[in-house]
Amino acid sequence: MTTIHTVAVGKRLLDGNDQQAAVNRARFQAADVLAVNIMASPGAGKTSVIIRTMEVLRSHARVGVIEGDIAGRIDADRVLAAGAAGAVQINTGGNCHLEAHMLAPALDALDLSELDLVFIENVGNLVCPTHWALGEALKLCVLSTAEGHDKPVKYPEIFAVSDAIVLNKIDLIDLVDFERVRFYESVRVLNPHAPIFEISCRTGAGVIAWGDWLRQQLPAPVLKRKER
Amino acid sequence: MAVMSYLLETVQEQAQQAGAVRVRAINLVIGERASVFDDSLLFYFDLLTPGTVAEGARLNVRRTAMRFHCATCRENYSRVDDTFCCPRCGTVGRVAADGSELLIESIEVES
Repeated sequence: MTTIHTVAVGKRLLDGNDQQAAVNRARFQAADVLAVNIMASPGAGKTSVIIRTMEVLRSHARVGVIEGDIAGRIDADRVLAAGAAGAVQINTGGNCHLEAHMLAPALDALDLSELDLVFIENVGNLVCPTHWALGEALKLCVLSTAEGHDKPVKYPEIFAVSDAIVLNKIDLIDLVDFERVRFYESVRVLNPHAPIFEISCRTGAGVIAWGDWLRQQLPAPVLKRKER
Repeated sequence: MAVMSYLLETVQEQAQQAGAVRVRAINLVIGERASVFDDSLLFYFDLLTPGTVAEGARLNVRRTAMRFHCATCRENYSRVDDTFCCPRCGTVGRVAADGSELLIESIEVES
């Protein structure tokens, strides 16, 4: 006889991805590596932020980069040329975001024991990457002023879940009618605590303050080693 | 696509554990903030379920809204236009319900 019953599940839609993310997170933690998942629109300046940050952290952290792109390896080559200790390109083959399982081969290819900080540059997209945990310790949202102050209202998830927000291309702010007050107001409704750093990768404005904050997030053993 | 394939993986696991021969319904809760839309879910559901235990199942999506609270009006409200401010008095509100759910609440199975 057929019986019909309801099974309570109570799991996240992406439970399978979350489990793999936990495996990645354990690998980063075991190696005392701070992993930062960088999420932004295409053209916001993710790669430029990585390069500028590497400059200011040069004497503080050995930086690896995992580059997620739909195709190509331009970004991996750029960060290597800028002094990254290691870089791996992941081509998602059309996928609009990175998923935790895609990182496993990249973590095999990078020697985590020789790194203190890994930037994971997600595919340019303000929606999908926010759902997919990768095993990062920090989620960073990069927005450029040219995209407009209304983005937190239109794409609330990314601003709500980020641990820090970098507002890039601050040198353009007066040219693009970006209303700073409205931007801060919307972000603060969604996320009262994440620090917001106004920077310009072109001029270097604000980059040191952002780098200082990030350096303080490095795992304690790394900070201790650098103090010696 | 990717969301649906992970969802079905969990549904199949749960159905198997329950000794189900067929999944009749999948009940999801999806918040407004998550920006996951019905048409894309249904499109990939129809594409990925044939031949699985979830073939022919109903996909029920309960939507939760983002709600804000205005301390001046002492009332909750939904977002209007391109601001989170209270539509009545303009006060900057705070989040009362974050609408961030992305959950498989339950499945209805035949065994």
